[in-house]
Amino acid sequence: MAELLTNVSPHLHKKDETISRAMKDVLIALAPAAVWALVVFGFNVVLILAVSCIAAAVAEVVMRKIMGRKITLKDYSAMVTAVLFVFLLPPTTPLWVVAIGSFIAIAVFKELMGGLGKNVVNPAIAARLLLWITPLSIYTTKFVRPFYWKDSGFFTPIATSFSKGVTTFQTLAGNTVDVVAAATPLSLLKSGRWGVEVITGPTPIGATWTNSAGRPTLGSMFLGLKSGCIGEVSVLLLLLGGLYLIWRGTIDWRIPTGIIGSFLLLNLVFWKQPFYQLFAGGLFLGAFFMATDWVTSPVTRRGKWIYAVGIGLTVFLIRLLHYRPEGVAIAILMWNIGTLVIDRYIAQPKFGEVGVGLFNKLPVLPEPAPAPAKKEA
Amino acid sequence: MSGKTGFKTFAGGIHPPYNKELAKDEATKPCPVPAEVYIPLSQHIGAPNVPLVSAGDRVELGQRIGATDAFVSAPVHSSVAGTVKEIAEVAGFTGARVKCVVITPDAEQPEFSRQPGKDLDAYSDEEIRAIAREAGLVGMGGAAFPTHVKLTPPKDKPVDTVIINACECEPFLTCDHRLMLERPSDLVAGLKLLMKAVGAKDGVIGIEANKMDAVEEMRKAAAGVDGVKVDILDVKYPEGAEKMLIFALTGRKVPPGKLPSEVGCLVQNVGTAIALYEAAAWGKPLYERVVTVSGDGITKPGNLLVRIGTPIQSLIDACGGVKGDTAKIIMGGPMTGWAQPGAGAPVVKGTSGVLLFTADMVDVGEEHECVRCGKCVDVCPMFLQPNFIVQAVKREEWDRAEMWGALDCFECGCCSFTCPAYIPHVSYVRKAKADIAALKKR
Repeated sequence: MAELLTNVSPHLHKKDETISRAMKDVLIALAPAAVWALVVFGFNVVLILAVSCIAAAVAEVVMRKIMGRKITLKDYSAMVTAVLFVFLLPPTTPLWVVAIGSFIAIAVFKELMGGLGKNVVNPAIAARLLLWITPLSIYTTKFVRPFYWKDSGFFTPIATSFSKGVTTFQTLAGNTVDVVAAATPLSLLKSGRWGVEVITGPTPIGATWTNSAGRPTLGSMFLGLKSGCIGEVSVLLLLLGGLYLIWRGTIDWRIPTGIIGSFLLLNLVFWKQPFYQLFAGGLFLGAFFMATDWVTSPVTRRGKWIYAVGIGLTVFLIRLLHYRPEGVAIAILMWNIGTLVIDRYIAQPKFGEVGVGLFNKLPVLPEPAPAPAKKEA
Repeated sequence: MSGKTGFKTFAGGIHPPYNKELAKDEATKPCPVPAEVYIPLSQHIGAPNVPLVSAGDRVELGQRIGATDAFVSAPVHSSVAGTVKEIAEVAGFTGARVKCVVITPDAEQPEFSRQPGKDLDAYSDEEIRAIAREAGLVGMGGAAFPTHVKLTPPKDKPVDTVIINACECEPFLTCDHRLMLERPSDLVAGLKLLMKAVGAKDGVIGIEANKMDAVEEMRKAAAGVDGVKVDILDVKYPEGAEKMLIFALTGRKVPPGKLPSEVGCLVQNVGTAIALYEAAAWGKPLYERVVTVSGDGITKPGNLLVRIGTPIQSLIDACGGVKGDTAKIIMGGPMTGWAQPGAGAPVVKGTSGVLLFTADMVDVGEEHECVRCGKCVDVCPMFLQPNFIVQAVKREEWDRAEMWGALDCFECGCCSFTCPAYIPHVSYVRKAKADIAALKKR
């Protein structure tokens, strides 16, 4: 008989319950939205995705080599971060900016924090917000209208002029044309400028772009016919991906339910274009794919509800009060940090426990005996 | 509360692969008597026994060979007729060395001579407790708590419900299932004795829904018996954990650190109830038990009636020997049992199964840093936070380990089963329990 294993019980493990399985599931769930972004925004999306993944892989290998840790590319967590980071960028982002952002996401916000499991904030969001507060932000705020590539060609890369700070795309004939710098639905809503820079007429898939008031219709927003970040485009496909993750047991249903539910409720109560708000911006992307990040969300049921409702409330307040139109990323980042406090202090009553307070209290254990004094020689 | 299938259950828990079909249709058959039996003097939680025999003595079948005056203890009896070879220390199933009476059995083993039957209804509660103690009864589900102690609940906590734990939620195990199919009326009689001993008016037999044939048999046996009913439970692990079972059947929650008597319940294993019946009706002490031998590493899985002290190698031989490349031998169930370094450990009163796994059944992943997925918190039936216990133990912060519930953990292993980072939570919890106890002692 071969050498027998003698580890501690349990001696069974759930089949295929591994970190890489979960990460692969997230990639699968993100795929439809990515393909749709490709259709809407052209081939540029593929280039951005490729650059982001390569930069993330390089960052992980370099950082882990420097710190003398094992390379763990095969758990796919770096790829998930790379793809999520891309989802937060406008389709016009220059590739070198993508590379820098993706590298920072992995190198700084993941590996320097201790690697998968030790990071405090979601690396993709943190890197995105870092780009936002640096001069690079001029490259990460230009949005294009859906199907802009019909004028230039699907495979035409977008070139960016640094001096002008504006994005242009080159036609195959070699003439440069200014991009129609489209406003996102949220920026329209924020500025109150309805009907400006918004496309009218039938969409390529038969829906109507705008309603009589000049806003994108709810239907076109739900299907993903609007300006916005690469990944935010199709609410429908993000929802399907999210439901797939819930069905697979990869993410907890409480977090998206809490975020979307509380956000919708607040908007309904204050009547701030509730459904318009719901489908605009990155709410679904954040609720299903960002806030549910295992590492940076609370582990208890109670904690998850507090966290989720907190995010919903914060997004509502930012969109209502802040000068920026969008607030999902900031809200999630804030509550990532809040998770530290929630997990430490919010009590989860044990089975059969009665009269539990809201907060965890440390029990009093006797001090360990001091180490015996060394005898002098 | 009721689960998805409509049967009674609890919150949390997991659905491991059950693999009961390997052995569930195999009728119980006796295991051959080995060349030597090793009967440990301590097969229970509590004070160890003092040997009553010495090398060279002759012993009869069922003769008492170890006893002590301590209350939390149970005597041991010889499982064979034979000659005492020596009193030696042998590696037990936990790996720790235990003092054993080593007996060389006679070539011919006598049948156990049943005492003339006494009317079971005539026993008083005091007498039943005495019988349980005399017969050396302990919980046969695995924890091996002396039965007579359980039957002596505190005066101010009257027990109104006796529950027979017939869930058998551990994968692979089928010994309780077989007992219910083969001896249903003995189980009901045992339950009546238990109810009488603690003065309970209700008796419930809780069976998981994957044993409907047993439900049918038990319902037939319990028909017309006053106060006894059979309840079906959801198929979920750990349905058979004492506190979970009480909650599922009665809706009562045993507070952390408290015993079932706190909520007026007493839980006993199927095997224990039948052993009590045997002791009361026939005067038979607990010297043999049914053990399931199963797993993909055994040629002919089955259920054996095994004499206490039989080395597990004899059980493997009786089931046709190993098949393929055995990677792990487990004594007990796969979720809470003990992995063995070899096949030499003797069967004790708490041994419910011997499982042989080949390499593809044993999924040992590399331990990764906790990724805080919260799955362990989700499945923990005690609503603890296993990931934080592990974290606290790693930092040697014992007060925090206690705050997150290390002392309330009953080591069901749901957390490790579902952990994508392959963290062995149970071994960290054991370390926490030992170190907290050491700290508190000072």
